[in-house]
Amino acid sequence: MSGYLLRRLPSALLVLLLASFLVFAVLRLVPGDPAAVLAGPDASAATEAAIRAHLGLDDPLPAQYARWIGGLLTGDLGPSYAIGGQTADLIGDGIGATVELTLGALLFVVVLGAAFGIVGATSRNRWLRGAVRILTTGALAVPPFVTGVLLVLLFAVLLGVLPPGGRVPLLTAPDLGVQYLLLPALCLALPSAAVLGRYLEDSIGRALAEDYVRTATAAGIAPRRLLWRHALPNALPPVVTLLGMQTGHLLGGAVLVEAIFAWPGLGQLAEQALVRRDYPVVQDLLLLLVTVFVLVQLLTDLVHARLDPRIRWE
Amino acid sequence: MTESYPTTPSAPSRRSTLRAAGGGALLLGLGLTGCRSAVSEAEAPAGKAGEAGKAGAEPRRGGTLTVAVNTDFTPSLLFAQSGQSLQHRLIYNTLTRYDDRLTPQPELATSWEYAKDGRSITLALRSGVTFHDGRPFTADDVIFAVKNLQNPLRAAQLRATAAAVTGFEKRGDHELVLKLAHPVNNLFDLFEFMIITDPNSVEDAVTGKRLNGTGPFKLTKWSPGSGLSFTRNETYWQPDRPYLDGVEFRIVPQADALLSSLRTGQSQLSFSVPGKNLTVVASAPDLAISEYSTGGGALYLGVNTTVAPLNDKTVRQALAWGIDRERILQQVLGGYGLASATPWPKSSPAFTEAGRTHYTHNPGKARELLRSAGHTRLDLPLLHINLPGETALAEAVQYDLRQIGVHVTLQPTDPATAQKNLISQTMPGLWTMSHSFAQVQPSTLAVSAYPFNEAKNTSKYRSAAYTKVVREAWTAPADGARANTLRQQITDTLLDEAFIIDLAIRGAVQVSAKKLHGVTLNKFSYLNLDDAYLAG
Repeated sequence: MSGYLLRRLPSALLVLLLASFLVFAVLRLVPGDPAAVLAGPDASAATEAAIRAHLGLDDPLPAQYARWIGGLLTGDLGPSYAIGGQTADLIGDGIGATVELTLGALLFVVVLGAAFGIVGATSRNRWLRGAVRILTTGALAVPPFVTGVLLVLLFAVLLGVLPPGGRVPLLTAPDLGVQYLLLPALCLALPSAAVLGRYLEDSIGRALAEDYVRTATAAGIAPRRLLWRHALPNALPPVVTLLGMQTGHLLGGAVLVEAIFAWPGLGQLAEQALVRRDYPVVQDLLLLLVTVFVLVQLLTDLVHARLDPRIRWE
Repeated sequence: MTESYPTTPSAPSRRSTLRAAGGGALLLGLGLTGCRSAVSEAEAPAGKAGEAGKAGAEPRRGGTLTVAVNTDFTPSLLFAQSGQSLQHRLIYNTLTRYDDRLTPQPELATSWEYAKDGRSITLALRSGVTFHDGRPFTADDVIFAVKNLQNPLRAAQLRATAAAVTGFEKRGDHELVLKLAHPVNNLFDLFEFMIITDPNSVEDAVTGKRLNGTGPFKLTKWSPGSGLSFTRNETYWQPDRPYLDGVEFRIVPQADALLSSLRTGQSQLSFSVPGKNLTVVASAPDLAISEYSTGGGALYLGVNTTVAPLNDKTVRQALAWGIDRERILQQVLGGYGLASATPWPKSSPAFTEAGRTHYTHNPGKARELLRSAGHTRLDLPLLHINLPGETALAEAVQYDLRQIGVHVTLQPTDPATAQKNLISQTMPGLWTMSHSFAQVQPSTLAVSAYPFNEAKNTSKYRSAAYTKVVREAWTAPADGARANTLRQQITDTLLDEAFIIDLAIRGAVQVSAKKLHGVTLNKFSYLNLDDAYLAG
């Protein structure tokens, strides 16, 4: 397994290096700059020029890139241009909230996805299968900003049982924290749970169509044991890969859901930083996102290889 | 698909389904009922019961006020007016504050006297005031505050006025003479705008690390993206103030979520409800809407006067006649504000009803003017910021102009790019945006608001006559017949030249819980909670 990991590392590092180039270059290509934002709506060009010089935005681009990467390698993420404070502190404040939201959503994805997939593939009740299909179609078709508003309307405004937004950290007050987490996590999870459910349904279906299942059935193995001990383990490896990819989707989708539920995570920080052209914060956040993607993919591949030995031998 | 499988393992049995459902309900129940409820925690009664007389009848002490804001605090813009200046007056004081008639009232300056030649002003400063860290407030803090705003890096819009102060004469710790390079009549705008910060920690303040002021509340925490927490300043210079124990700012960027937050009692005050949502608020029994009619901003159509055919004044005037301002007021601002062809709110000394209604919706006259300028159809680009309110304004303008034969192509742009274009004078033919600074002394608008600046503005409009009248209006005494004449000349120039076509004055609209009392805003939208309390 460690050999497999070592073979994958160079490509992962190359991806990170290329991503850093791309992130840096693309941000500079976007029109507008932090000095104009900081200068304010009624500022003169002289004020803007003074601010640009102060931020070092007049320096050549290679020097700016080297300063950024040098800072990253020495653990100094530098000050935020527009928001204020240190970039590391800003990211540090938001990362807990985003991890909490993503893990909460991931839990929903796994539980709901498994339920959708297993019921869809194995239930003999047409109505139940139909209901799952309608539910997954709805979860895929309705965008999160609509789902979010509907959830808030139902649970916060009409029923009044859950708060409409905000966050209490789970570690600070678990009983309150879970109530703040439920709606945004569910909203974020629904589309991915539907995708996972459909994929699992298909995957179990194919596993159940295999010859060994017929043989096992003929040998008198109970259907439930057949599902849990034989069909499901064989259906899982591709589903794990899909779950890894969906984790990336969850991170990306968090931006919108965080806005709907006033969840103070990295998505909100990224949006604020991008609107204000706060280069250091946006650069570090995007690179962090790519790093998480790469790590999740590595982890997914490792789990996949663990579940399916053929992968390790390739 | 499942029908073709040779065997179909049984789905979860009814019993196991019920067991799972029961378990789920138990878990949910633990969260929702077994422990504290997040909903009732947020709605916990404010104020200490029984401390005052009848609920709502008189101020009572205690409670925490939650304010919903749609943008985060930006400490790097601490000294500039931005979309989020609400917290300034909670942490800091200003030297003076205007009443509704633009008459300055004492705050950290208790009295003042202008020299006869208008070249200096003597300020008496309040004694017994301390910063949150315990250091006493003195004249040195005022000297620092003025010099600080002269620094271009602070991006303060009133820098020109601060820069007119060229000398300081300290007469003890609590008396100070400010000497001016030339007379200016908007010095009290500066005194209302300029927060008095602690010189020793100002660099920490602009990075959000430590904000040390003399205001009624101390900032205890800024969590970027989440909000701000304030606690009562127990040594505030106003006796028995503030009433509130604390204030929380919660950042709720999405309009629907912000509305839900108010309707469910999670927050009790907001100035960020979009115009179109105000009708929803109006029907909520526990919420009240009030409007600050002094107007902190105005919507306008900008015109690049160097682009043909917009370099022809007649064409610009035709555009001004072609727009239905009343419809914009209703559709974009929810009816809160004032449709107006001039930038001045009703509280401004420059306001006149004739100016406000100089251009009304008259498509026939607009078409006639275009024809007289030799045009029957025009195609023009219009830049706007791609946010809902700004897009609605641009679409309303686009619709109206199409009726007079001007076909507008919308150019939705993100705020940072629009800002860059504004400052660098690279706007296309037309753009829609908002401006402020008409709510104080009229001279401030032309001196400090970039779209109107006589020396350099986005419309690229230059005129020796405009420069002369603006400079004179800034340096002449604020009152009297001469002042009125100069203001009228500025208004006449703006209406006649139409390089900035004003559409509507935006009122600051306050949505608050009915149990909240005593909230005010200053002219620069700094929230004043000195006298605020929760009762009822």
